[in-house]
Amino acid sequence: MFRASSLSSQIHTRKFLLANLSRNILQSNLHRDNKNSEVIPIRTNYTSSTNSQISNLEKCTLAVSSALTAFCDPGRGDMIATLGETTGSIFINRMRDHMLRDKTGRRILQERPRIHSSTIDIPYLSSLPLGTFGKEYTNFLDGQNVTPDTRVKVQYIYDDELAYVMQRYRECHDFFHALTKLPANVEGELALKWFELAQTGMPMTLLSSIFGPLKLSSKERERLFKKYVPWALQCGSQCKFLLNVYYEEHWNKNIDEMRNELGIYLVD
Amino acid sequence: MSVKYLTNRTLFQKFSTNLNKRFLATVSTTSKLEDIYDIVIVGGGIAGSALACALATSNLTKLQKRIALIESSNTSNIREWNPLQGEFSNRVSSLTPRSVQFFKDIGVWQNINEERIKPFSDMQVWDGISDARIRYNNESDKKGPLAWILENYNIQHAILKTLDKDKSIVDIFDNTKVQDITFDKDSGGGQFDLSDWPSVELSDGRKLKARLLVGADGFNSPVRSFANIESLGWDYNSHAVVATLHVDPNIENKTAWQRFLPTGPIAMLPLQNGFSSMVWSTTPNLATKIKSISSKDFACLVNAAFQMRVADLEYFYSQLGNNESVDLQSEFEWRKSVQLKNSDPKEEFPPLVLGVQEKSRAGFPLRMRNAESYIKERVVLVGDAAHTIHPLAGQGLNQGLADVHHLLQVIERGIANGQDIGDINLLRGYSSERYLSNLVMLGVVDKLHKLFGTDFTPTVLARSLGLKTLNNLEPVKAEIMKYAMGL
Repeated sequence: MFRASSLSSQIHTRKFLLANLSRNILQSNLHRDNKNSEVIPIRTNYTSSTNSQISNLEKCTLAVSSALTAFCDPGRGDMIATLGETTGSIFINRMRDHMLRDKTGRRILQERPRIHSSTIDIPYLSSLPLGTFGKEYTNFLDGQNVTPDTRVKVQYIYDDELAYVMQRYRECHDFFHALTKLPANVEGELALKWFELAQTGMPMTLLSSIFGPLKLSSKERERLFKKYVPWALQCGSQCKFLLNVYYEEHWNKNIDEMRNELGIYLVD
Repeated sequence: MSVKYLTNRTLFQKFSTNLNKRFLATVSTTSKLEDIYDIVIVGGGIAGSALACALATSNLTKLQKRIALIESSNTSNIREWNPLQGEFSNRVSSLTPRSVQFFKDIGVWQNINEERIKPFSDMQVWDGISDARIRYNNESDKKGPLAWILENYNIQHAILKTLDKDKSIVDIFDNTKVQDITFDKDSGGGQFDLSDWPSVELSDGRKLKARLLVGADGFNSPVRSFANIESLGWDYNSHAVVATLHVDPNIENKTAWQRFLPTGPIAMLPLQNGFSSMVWSTTPNLATKIKSISSKDFACLVNAAFQMRVADLEYFYSQLGNNESVDLQSEFEWRKSVQLKNSDPKEEFPPLVLGVQEKSRAGFPLRMRNAESYIKERVVLVGDAAHTIHPLAGQGLNQGLADVHHLLQVIERGIANGQDIGDINLLRGYSSERYLSNLVMLGVVDKLHKLFGTDFTPTVLARSLGLKTLNNLEPVKAEIMKYAMGL
């Protein structure tokens, strides 16, 4: 959405935008070890007093710059996030419509559960028996040494329901890892991006799926396209839309049973 | 004696007594002179009876021609129409200024119950998927309202009242079905060779001979099949559901609303403050479900159809059959609250539907048809017998009335020139006027229906861009509306 702003506020937003870009490019990876324990609001607090939204031209610039930065440094999750927000508006609408068509999806949209260390009890999940969804999830988190608080907040989506959908999509990413048993290395992440492409159709996933493999060695790339990508496309397009699952209610469930119900089968 | 004498009504009366005596001795297959008519109109719907009324009031025809109007149903329902305040029939039509002017000319408009009509000057049409909107407001224009919404009963009652003023001009055969239409080899009046005049056999045994047979008998026209005229077209995979709605009475009800959903358009037409008529074209499956759900759920569904996202509606549809375990009202309120936070406050919606009138929900299938020809020797088709159209533009009845108007002019011209009004060369004047304009209107409405019936993204983007652009081009909009208003 574009709001006409006066000249002075336009200067403010430009300054803010430049500041934001430079902050993102100059600052080193800020997210992987940030353990924020308070409940975070969905949107970043703008420092600008006008609190205005960015224009379409600014969105395009941001899309291009974040795409380039993400390509150069695939570890920059925040750049991938920005790319997703600026390019995905039609697809986020589609995702919300998918959720609206499903009873559980509607419940999620109404209740708006968040995945954060303050809302899910990680020690309890670790204590669950092996083979349950909760235990597999915490195993994955421990294996990669991350917490659920590492997701970047939504910044450039102004409709609050769509912002929630985007946020939920990011927060469920680790669940996808647990369900598909893909590791969090570059190969696994790329395979999961192809999977998400089949599920959501977002351009950000498409761009990552095409340009990401360029950074791999030829042998890794061969393995990716021979083994992972066909699996990802087939499994992703036939399984249930994964945002329509109320994960918080299935911690105790046996993970294989859950995979069966959702229509997910593992690679190989 | 030549046939020409029959054209003079007073002479006819003089001769009839003599002739009858002469033919008493002959075989009874000869048709009696009372059964020989100049114009026989089969079908007493709005088009047919409007034609009868127009002929009865036209100075050229009323004294010279014998006119018969055959209607299969009992017209006393219409003659004794006495509607209750606060109740409206679910069969309503929208009349363009051109049709209203025609009714004024033939003296019908003064008999319309003015309290039950609604002229409106504001119209909003939008795309259900992209919310691209086109709005046309005529209030400041001197041309008058865009259209009038009337109950069909109101129109028919007014026409019959006008006809009944002088019952000697048109012979109305009501409660009479047409058994058969043939070319009777028997040459009618003995001296007169009427073998090429169509012979209409009625259910009471009478056989009428017609110089000109007018088919105003609707979609399955027997006159059309008698004339061996094929009707070309297709059935839409759609049914229209009509109902009379109780809407929020605090909002001034003066706008016609239409939203194009992928399953078909839903329209709300104002009848009075607090009452509206709804026409919802949708798939046959959904139409059946919509007619059978409770009134409360129906009201929620109509509100959702105008205000919610298509995905929400699809969820509602999926829940319709299932023992109604879903509270549609609370779902609607939740979605409305989300929408209010994020949408443009200037966007307008139709008044909230609070309920539906008892037993007013009904459905009918939608089709598009055009007869391959409107005329044959001594046969002419008007109204739904000639063409059927999708109701999305409110043009069907108006096309029929335009047909009637032109036919009247053609008949008057024929009489003024002393022609045989059943002569096909005279009738060609009618066909050439109406065939092309009807075909164009049918084509445009059909393409609109197809354009808005898809949710394929490139088409949605293209048509939304078209709508938005058109909305901003006032002169073009005005021209399109003039065409739709018949001016």
